[in-house]
Amino acid sequence: FLLRRCPWLTKAISPAIPLYNGLVFLFVLANFSMATFMDPGVFPRADEDEDKDDDFRAPLYKNVEIKGIQVRMKWCATCHFYRPPRCSHCSVCDNCVEDFDHHCPWVNNCIGRRNYRYFFLFLLSLSTHMVGVFTFGLIFVLNHMEKLGAAHTTITMAVMCVAGLFFIPVIGLTGFHIVLVARGRTTNEQVTGKFRGGVNPFTRGCCGNVEHVLCSPLAPRRIFLFLSGSWLLFLLMMTVELLIRYVVEPKKRQAVSVKPPFLRPDLSERQITVKISDNGIQANLNRSKSKISLEGLDDKSMDMQPPLPSKGDPSKYSELTGQLGASEESGLSPKLISPPTPAMYKYRPSFSNNPKVHYHAAPEQISMQEGHSQGALIEEDDRSLDYQSEPSLDIPSYRKSSLHKTYQSSPLQIDSFTVNSRSLSLKSAGRRGTDKVPLHPIKSEGAASTPYKSIFSPNSLSNRNGSLSYDSLLNPMSPSGRKCVAHSAVGSVGYHSPYLSAKMCHLRGSELQRQPPQSFSPVLGSPAPHQRDPSPVRYDNLSKTIMASIQERKEMEEREKLLHSHPDSVFADSGVYDTPSSYSLQQVSTLSEDPRSMAMRYGSRDNLMAAASFSARNPILQSSVSSLSSAMSRAPRTSTTSLQADLANNNVQSHQALQGRVSNGSYKSPGHQVPSSPTGMPRSPSYGGPKAVSFVNTVEITEVQSVGAQRDDVQLKAPHSKINGQPKGITRLGSTSSSQGTPVSPARHANVKKVSGVGGTTYEISV
Amino acid sequence: QVHSLQELRRSASLATKVFVQRDYSEGTTCQFQTKFPPELESRIERQLFEETVKTLNSFYAEAEKIGGSSYLEGCLACATAYFIFLCMETHYEKVLKKISKYIQEQNEKIYAPRGLLLTDPLERGMRVV
Repeated sequence: FLLRRCPWLTKAISPAIPLYNGLVFLFVLANFSMATFMDPGVFPRADEDEDKDDDFRAPLYKNVEIKGIQVRMKWCATCHFYRPPRCSHCSVCDNCVEDFDHHCPWVNNCIGRRNYRYFFLFLLSLSTHMVGVFTFGLIFVLNHMEKLGAAHTTITMAVMCVAGLFFIPVIGLTGFHIVLVARGRTTNEQVTGKFRGGVNPFTRGCCGNVEHVLCSPLAPRRIFLFLSGSWLLFLLMMTVELLIRYVVEPKKRQAVSVKPPFLRPDLSERQITVKISDNGIQANLNRSKSKISLEGLDDKSMDMQPPLPSKGDPSKYSELTGQLGASEESGLSPKLISPPTPAMYKYRPSFSNNPKVHYHAAPEQISMQEGHSQGALIEEDDRSLDYQSEPSLDIPSYRKSSLHKTYQSSPLQIDSFTVNSRSLSLKSAGRRGTDKVPLHPIKSEGAASTPYKSIFSPNSLSNRNGSLSYDSLLNPMSPSGRKCVAHSAVGSVGYHSPYLSAKMCHLRGSELQRQPPQSFSPVLGSPAPHQRDPSPVRYDNLSKTIMASIQERKEMEEREKLLHSHPDSVFADSGVYDTPSSYSLQQVSTLSEDPRSMAMRYGSRDNLMAAASFSARNPILQSSVSSLSSAMSRAPRTSTTSLQADLANNNVQSHQALQGRVSNGSYKSPGHQVPSSPTGMPRSPSYGGPKAVSFVNTVEITEVQSVGAQRDDVQLKAPHSKINGQPKGITRLGSTSSSQGTPVSPARHANVKKVSGVGGTTYEISV
Repeated sequence: QVHSLQELRRSASLATKVFVQRDYSEGTTCQFQTKFPPELESRIERQLFEETVKTLNSFYAEAEKIGGSSYLEGCLACATAYFIFLCMETHYEKVLKKISKYIQEQNEKIYAPRGLLLTDPLERGMRVV
């Protein structure tokens, strides 16, 4: 348009036209980039020490009064704190976002406090731009009516048509946001009807609201990103990508599989820094060497601080985190924030049928730093749905006795599932091709098992990706790669969930991330609250699929029983894993107690994530679970969140895959327990499910049935709420197994519970 | 003093932690509760603590204030297609630097002698002190 039309228009009307159009276009582009790459205001995960009490005993909701109005703050199980008002947890990004507006698929980023303005301006400028294009095209055509058949005119008309077509929804959205700004509400609040009664404590009056949106100073980043020396190059690449997206998107409106110049990190044996930039959030994940040390984490957090102030604001290009220096050798790495989780599928039905949607906001470079001698497990963006072979992780993970692996799950961009291409680790392992996929998850799995303290630090982005050092994983990987694959193949009958492993990884990663270096004492400290009596699963409401998956799960449990043989080692490992105290605690305690109850307990917290709902549905899960059992022993219960999120996403995609993954994930987490408590297996998926859901608030688990499947002897409520108001109480209560105080906590042993979540969503949960 | 501060920091992970939560009575502006936590009853004077928190609150209020300078900053950023962010740090960041300096100074003068360490809320995502 610009090229062809402008010369004529310039002559005919005014020379300012191309200039004007160019400016507007630039403006649109700039705002779009900012909206895409800027950190929306992600909250880092809370340290364990901050929520030690809260996690187990705190109520789900906490009331706070704001300007005279009672506002309810919900406990976020993923992030381990009470969500500030207006904060919401995005399941796609797997982060709590301040002033959460919505997760925008077009920019593939959450819109929150920091980038709402840019998003809003983007909408405005895009509308203006479209109007301009349309108008000038019209003028051109009208002036060339006599030559309608000419190529120029036809093209112009085509452009006009396209512009006109896209004009409607864009204008609609713009108008919607204008109203929101005037009212001082976020999309989230509007959609969930929080202030339908008309009383919004956050409004400052119409003018004040507009002023606040447009003129307020840029809020600080709570998660610190680091820019490496190569960020310029990265920016370049991102610009290219951006252009492609912008040009392609309006025309085609389809997911552009962005293939940012994926810089393969050099797979040095020891140093592979994983850089994942996702939606402007990038963190270097360093895989710590074998042991994760508390100090290491602390140091890391210390290290993280200084760079933040020094760096201006790379947010524009979403913080490319460059490679950390050699100091990272010790495995300190900022956490990677990678939004995507398969949960995105929920939000983007358009993508649901395309598991390989690549909607990479930013090129992802993954270089993993690995202290491990073996190859490098390179986790790439987790978007790939190709994660497979969770089961294969069994073996490697099992072997890793005391290796702390920093798991770096590539950020799961829900919309992008290009993991396979990125599984560098797979490559390094030499298992390309068919094995690649299976390996991928394996690695993540194994890695996840190791606790990674370095991942989580207040400064680091707590994304789902934990950095996992695959030291032990790698080693066994190669030789056992085939074995694992075979094993998994055997174990997972029909288990094809590419996600699962990925999910698991992510879950683990996220789990790991969330685990600041913890002494293991807390782990051992509190088994009590998680006692769960293993009640038989009741699947009254379960759909057939769920039943099938449950059956499979049972089978898998049986298999696990046979497989697992070292409860002790597992136990020890659990300590090593530095999983959140609550989690590890569960594991530890469960191991010592009743394996089954352990599994249950574990599930209560972690497995919730596992989206039992999904697992329930996945018949394959059972088999895969069993196969994983041995490997699972080590499986860290990390990243249940990610798993959950993934699960949520996967839900849309492939239930099977999810299920397998979920089960794996959930399975993994109690990995230690699994061997010892195969009986707990049937439950593991279940507890993963409902709890997982509750953990992922934004995960819109629409499978009510799946929820039903997940039943935990503790109150199982698969919250299907689509809003923050997930009845977290369920999970938490479950863990405590004593408090049933949450408003929506169903009876412990009710078969089916109807729970209404916040916002009126109701779901049935079979307990 | 700095040295001791660092040591304190290192041992902070093993120390008992007291968290001062956010005060949301004014909405989402960053404020911390001035309520005196009972665990510090014996460690520090109430007055000193409250003063610290109040000063911090005022700093944050200043950072978030919508004024002419913030408006100009926004306009400039817009005009330069946000490239300005690569070169310049925002108003908020400037205030954050001030805050961290203040906290360090407070630590040195008041808290370290009492065996306490005040952490910058930025480390924890501005949710808690």
